[in-house]
Amino acid sequence: MTDRACEPQPGAVKFTMLLAGIVLLLMMVFGLIMRAAQGNLIELDPTLFYQIMTAHGAGMVGTAGLTGAAILWFFVGRYVPLLPGVYYAFLGLFLFGVILILGGIFIGGYGGGWTFLFPLPAMSGGAWDAGAAASFMVGYTAIGVGFLLYYLEVGRKLIVAYGGIGGALAWPLAFGGGRQEDAPPPTVVAAMATTIFNTIGIVVGAAVLVCSLVNLLAPGFAVDALLAKNMIYFFGHVFINASIYMAVIAVYEIIPQYTGREWKTTRVFAIAWSAVLLFVMAVYPHHLLQDTVMPGWALVMGQVISYLSGIPLLAVTAFSLLVYLRGSKVRWDLASALLVLGVAGWSVGSIPAIIDAMISVNKLMHNTQWVPGHFHIYLILGEVAMSFGFMAWLVKEARKTAMTGLDRAAFAVYLLGGAGFTIMFLVSGALSVPRRWAVHAPEWYLQDRVATGFAMLVILGTLFFVATYARGLMRRRAD
Amino acid sequence: MIGARILTAGLIFSLCLGFRDFFESNPVSHVLIQLPLLAWCGALLAQPAINLEAEWNRGGVVALLIALFGITFWMLPRSIDAALFSPAMEVAKFISLPLCVGAPLAIGWARAHPLLRGFLKAQAVSMLGVMAFLYTHAPVRICNAYLVDDQLRLGYAFLFTAIAVVVLWVAPLFVGSREFHQMRSRSVEAG
Amino acid sequence: MKALLAALAVALAGPAFLWKATDGFQALTAEDARRVAAMRDRPMVPDIRLRAMSGEVIGLPSADRKVTMVEFIYTTCPTICQSAGTDLARVRDGLVEKGLGDEVRILSISFDPETDGPHQLSAYGESHGADGRIWTITRPDVDALPRLLRAFGVVVIPDRFGGYQHNAALHVVDPQGRLSAILDTDDITGALGAAKRASQ
Repeated sequence: MTDRACEPQPGAVKFTMLLAGIVLLLMMVFGLIMRAAQGNLIELDPTLFYQIMTAHGAGMVGTAGLTGAAILWFFVGRYVPLLPGVYYAFLGLFLFGVILILGGIFIGGYGGGWTFLFPLPAMSGGAWDAGAAASFMVGYTAIGVGFLLYYLEVGRKLIVAYGGIGGALAWPLAFGGGRQEDAPPPTVVAAMATTIFNTIGIVVGAAVLVCSLVNLLAPGFAVDALLAKNMIYFFGHVFINASIYMAVIAVYEIIPQYTGREWKTTRVFAIAWSAVLLFVMAVYPHHLLQDTVMPGWALVMGQVISYLSGIPLLAVTAFSLLVYLRGSKVRWDLASALLVLGVAGWSVGSIPAIIDAMISVNKLMHNTQWVPGHFHIYLILGEVAMSFGFMAWLVKEARKTAMTGLDRAAFAVYLLGGAGFTIMFLVSGALSVPRRWAVHAPEWYLQDRVATGFAMLVILGTLFFVATYARGLMRRRAD
Repeated sequence: MIGARILTAGLIFSLCLGFRDFFESNPVSHVLIQLPLLAWCGALLAQPAINLEAEWNRGGVVALLIALFGITFWMLPRSIDAALFSPAMEVAKFISLPLCVGAPLAIGWARAHPLLRGFLKAQAVSMLGVMAFLYTHAPVRICNAYLVDDQLRLGYAFLFTAIAVVVLWVAPLFVGSREFHQMRSRSVEAG
Repeated sequence: MKALLAALAVALAGPAFLWKATDGFQALTAEDARRVAAMRDRPMVPDIRLRAMSGEVIGLPSADRKVTMVEFIYTTCPTICQSAGTDLARVRDGLVEKGLGDEVRILSISFDPETDGPHQLSAYGESHGADGRIWTITRPDVDALPRLLRAFGVVVIPDRFGGYQHNAALHVVDPQGRLSAILDTDDITGALGAAKRASQ
């Protein structure tokens, strides 16, 4: 029923990945600067630290979303025809938003963090004016509009081609008497699920953005701070998770080329994705465990669903991946190694997340570096690794050998750097080192400095991946 | 068929006119019932023009833009107040909502690309949400003609409308289109 | 091409129309509109007799060419008029401080003259410290009321609890009898500035 005719706009997707690679590199340098400043290795004005932290947060989340979106677009195009104009509009709005965000931060001085937590943008204590915060938030809104267009196109095509949302989510197979042969491919199921929950997330985010903007321009319009925080963390949680759930499509589509066995939509797979769809949205209160004014049931729900959400993820993707890999002779190269690393990092990263989502632990750990430890595993060793894997795969044919010694070394450096860097966060967290502090106490310098070293390794590895990708693109063009 | 449409439109229009005082006695029925009903009159009357293959209205963009500006104008609290205090504005309301909102909306919608339709639906929902926020959170009275409590009620009415519209538009998406299921059953029979 | 041109025309005409309809996006509400209009058009206010709480009859455009600051109240008002009364006392004190006490007078005008007799006006004046010298409490004739409210753009509607809701503001009338500014009652600095401008 599907014609695997073409991937849409390989050029645009490749360009996106190149752009994303460069931005990731820049964001990593920002991270390095912050860790070095915390370790007292360099002098950094705290005002600039918070601007860099804001840019790093918004930039990383945005780029993760962008790479995920590029991967989804590329592979969904194998099953349904997607309108090219929509992708260009999405990319254009994204870049427009980036300009406004960077302007708000580095020209306007906005340093209120990527979460624009109400009422911080309006109350900077003189560090930035309302215009800077407004520019930052309008930038977000522009990116949100781009994503909305993007998901409208993807969702609309999937709904038409696979018989509604239920059909695209393989509900007949999951909950009815449907046959596995009739079920849509894993990419479609994953794309449909992320389209739904990320659209909802973005709509909620846009709503709170508009309210915050109105408040910024007309302070008389006060927003309920607790409601705003709930909306912001719902949006933030859903959006960053969506980036991983979109990127994992690369695993579903590329790994079968190595194992020689198609990734199938089984009944368990279908049920798990429907569960993920609900869990991703219901679990967000685990970000608000320290807000004692939250209703108790919401916090309990946050903790319980945190336990549960590990199951569909691990059962479906990590376990199936292991099964697929075990039964086949895989010829390892940079692409397959990075993709497998991505799934492994994602799974490992969920462990400190689940620990932090326990109310009793969260009371102690939430404002420590334990939390950045967890989400840096998700990103460096998870989503970003998958994106680098996708990039390596895109230029695979341009390369002669499967995995050179240099590839092996770069992979090892990246893995070592990423693991060491994130472990330093976790260690600091366990030692109660606070997060988001521009200036650290001398007792904390050691971990900061070790982390700075590991950050350099990550950047070294990334430099190699991005350079290899760029060279591959050029060689391909020359052919 | 055309006669029935004209009859319905006329009926709705006279309803809006005849029960003017009732509709306009509070902002909820004024903004969320009377104004949409008037626009609907225009949409009904525009039906024969819908298949007009006019070159200037390719993709329905021009007609939709006209409707968009018409809606924006009637979303201004100032316009609502003016309709109540100035007879000329009241007349303009009864003419412009059918002609500049309802009719162009129908004509534009018929030719709009499905993606544009989706975008406009999302836009409509978010604008309803924004209006709900503004009317429930305003620190001042927005309309001189209406009480503060009614203003709050209008805000909640916007919110409920937004929710209703979302349910109305999203629910059908869970099951596939009729064409899809016909195709599916045909392929099962064949296979 | 035709479609593009048409779309462009509408995309330009639409905002232009909205610009016109909102006085350059300054006034989205009727309240803002009347404030913008007062600043721009300076309309004449009607010549009306008012009965002050002292019993004397005074004219709305001041006979002795003073600036007149006007607010509308009803004395049984439990909320806004009371806090506006406090604001006006501060405006009065500010006028005295700036030496404008001889050039400016403040009138609180009741829009409920049927309920607000001389006794109610005096009681209201007393409770807010209006002694009749700079600031006095007045009421118009019942039949002059609609003309007065319309001229100032004040809308009074029953609030379902026996009281009223109305657009409370401070209106500045210059010595020539033109409405030259409308401000929030708690904008003391703005009010003093407007009074000074109108007196020159």
